[in-house]
Amino acid sequence: MTHIQISPGAVAPGDDRSVPGRSGSQDGPPANAAKRPGRGENLAGYLFMSPWIAGFLFLIAGPMVFSLYLSFTEYNLFEAPRWIGLQNFSDMFADPRWRQSVEVTSWYVLIGTPVKLAAALAVAMLLAQKRWGQSFYRAAFYAPSLIGASVSAAIVWRALFSDDAIVDRTQKVLGFEVGGWIGDPEMIIYALIALTVWQFGAPMVIFLAGLKQVPQELYEAAEMDGAGRWRKFFHITLPMISPVLFFNVLLETIHSFQIFGSAYIVSNGSCGPADATLVYTCYLYEQGFVNSRMGFASAMGWLLLVAVGLVTAVLFWSQKRWVHYEEGGR
Amino acid sequence: MSRNNGMDRRQLLKLAGLSAAGLGLTAAGCGSGSGGSGGPVTIRHSWWGADDRAKKIQQCVGLFEKKHPKIKVKTDFQQYPDFWKKFNTQAAGGNPPDVIQNAVTFLRKYEAKNVLLDLSPQVEKGNLDLGGFRSGLEKFAEIDGKLLGVPVGSNSMALVIDEKVYEKAGITPEIGWTWDDWYAGLQKIKNGQKIAGDAGPHGVMYLYDLILRQNGKAFFTEDGMGFGEAELLPYWTEALERVEAGLYADPNKVEQIKPASATAKGLSAGEFTWDNFSVRYSAEGKSSYGLAPIPSTDGKKTGQYLGSLMLSGTARTKHPAEVATFISFMTHDPEVARIMGYDRGVPATTAQFEAFQPADAPSKAIAAYETSIADAGVLEPITPHPAGADVIEAAFLRIGADLALGKTSPKDSVKQFFSEAKTALAAN
Repeated sequence: MTHIQISPGAVAPGDDRSVPGRSGSQDGPPANAAKRPGRGENLAGYLFMSPWIAGFLFLIAGPMVFSLYLSFTEYNLFEAPRWIGLQNFSDMFADPRWRQSVEVTSWYVLIGTPVKLAAALAVAMLLAQKRWGQSFYRAAFYAPSLIGASVSAAIVWRALFSDDAIVDRTQKVLGFEVGGWIGDPEMIIYALIALTVWQFGAPMVIFLAGLKQVPQELYEAAEMDGAGRWRKFFHITLPMISPVLFFNVLLETIHSFQIFGSAYIVSNGSCGPADATLVYTCYLYEQGFVNSRMGFASAMGWLLLVAVGLVTAVLFWSQKRWVHYEEGGR
Repeated sequence: MSRNNGMDRRQLLKLAGLSAAGLGLTAAGCGSGSGGSGGPVTIRHSWWGADDRAKKIQQCVGLFEKKHPKIKVKTDFQQYPDFWKKFNTQAAGGNPPDVIQNAVTFLRKYEAKNVLLDLSPQVEKGNLDLGGFRSGLEKFAEIDGKLLGVPVGSNSMALVIDEKVYEKAGITPEIGWTWDDWYAGLQKIKNGQKIAGDAGPHGVMYLYDLILRQNGKAFFTEDGMGFGEAELLPYWTEALERVEAGLYADPNKVEQIKPASATAKGLSAGEFTWDNFSVRYSAEGKSSYGLAPIPSTDGKKTGQYLGSLMLSGTARTKHPAEVATFISFMTHDPEVARIMGYDRGVPATTAQFEAFQPADAPSKAIAAYETSIADAGVLEPITPHPAGADVIEAAFLRIGADLALGKTSPKDSVKQFFSEAKTALAAN
């Protein structure tokens, strides 16, 4: 039996990326498609996939379709949903708390994501250099991302930024009398942003991988031409890692839109004070599970999906201007 | 760069497979059924409260299982807000616990949704004893002829005070004192000891209810709001002035120390709350704490009533008789009273009331307080709470806090509150 190539795009390193089947040869369909797997193998494949397919249908696709229906209804979990058309959406735009949640989330995404990525890139560049104890540092900087999603980290965060806790005391020593951040509606969002920035491990690892790929010859050539550190960064490093940067921007932006756990816990389940941490999902959760307005919550969910989709589309559109792929790659 | 763009498809599939397997496992875990017939019957009981209450209830359940070997009780507890989120979801999914701790704010909400069990047939069958309840408490959860719960204890609103601060200021709160006396006291405390006199009462729905009742109104009617913007606006306007004047505690600081109490943490000389909550203060704070009467407008009518925690069965239960037996045990057995003390208020039945003789100072204070208001004859019947009252209470608290933090004007706060209240009444 001949070898079956599973991934059609996979190319051995060093070849010239002429993918079989794309060269317009008389083979017609791509070579790998011509060698169809036997029926038994198909069955085995589907069998192995069946838990995932079942999970997808029952736990993701089904509920999604149902929630789309619910978004046009009034539904309090107990009585049958009542069709109200676009009422939920118009209620939403008229609701000052909904607008507040959009504002808080946008602020969080706009400030948190760039700062987090900048921190990730800066540390990745430090860790990309060969030095003693390198693997220890890599692990140490990655660690917060592992525990970051946990409830305990958010509780610790709450303790750090409370009145008379370590952050407050340090501020006092430095001469700022701003008090704890947790009870301050102006400041608490920055405590949340600090929490997400602190968890830069995942994008950092991806940046590290990207930095490793930048050919050293480019730097050597630039040095010969007398380029300084910043010049090298802006003219070699950034363009060379721009696909990785794009990937990180995309992932982190989508991720930031969905912030919930940390906001919920740092604010002690209130998304306050004064709705200062009322992120979108927090309000969605409150409407759905506390106020029993599942239709409204579903409508909010779908609007979030559309918004994230739009932002993703804009990012993809913008990549033509700033993301540089090596020739032939995409 | 693009030569190695991250993960290849095979790795991706592997990952997807793994996560799907994980999902499958969790799904399987959720579906574990209950039931079983023939042998002992198992009922589920859940409540809200701190660890301390959980230990006591666990002890009572142990006792119950010993006396009723055919009934097993599975227990579960959460903090108050989490409890209702979970219960709401369980009830909607058709799988609520058989017996729950309940409060008046939720009675109509779940009655309207047919979630609660009508216990009156069980009374007729003799599984639930309604004899020996103090001052008509057995009627507490009766709605439209249905018995939707049985009180386990009674409590009333009170003013918890830091006795040391009040003593130093030379203030002795007495039955018959007025709001003007109270405000003068706050000023005295502020001037003499640089402490706020109160934690900020403007978000406490149950206190505002008393103030309305003192003026011939009430927070709720049977199906809506019992007051309007004209009442709330001056109340919140004055509250904001008192926050700014430092008579009410700095809301920023109150927020920081949550869930601890502001008075116990020394941020204020007192706060309005349920009398049985005073048990926690001596554990949380360093001073000594006492209960003071509710001030009134005319020196007579305080608007007070007995509130109560209760036990309710849920309509979906397969074992209504066992549910009734358990509730009956929890409300009548003298041993239960000796274990629970005043944790859920002063016991509702005379048998339990007499069984527990408080020895600790906070419990003694609660007993003395409840006797004093009963003797003063200020107690009235409770006002109804419409479906949605729970959401309205949360909105009142939240908007009151926003106001104190200076994020909204009193006028906007009042408007926002009534708009949310309207939505809550319509949705529930």
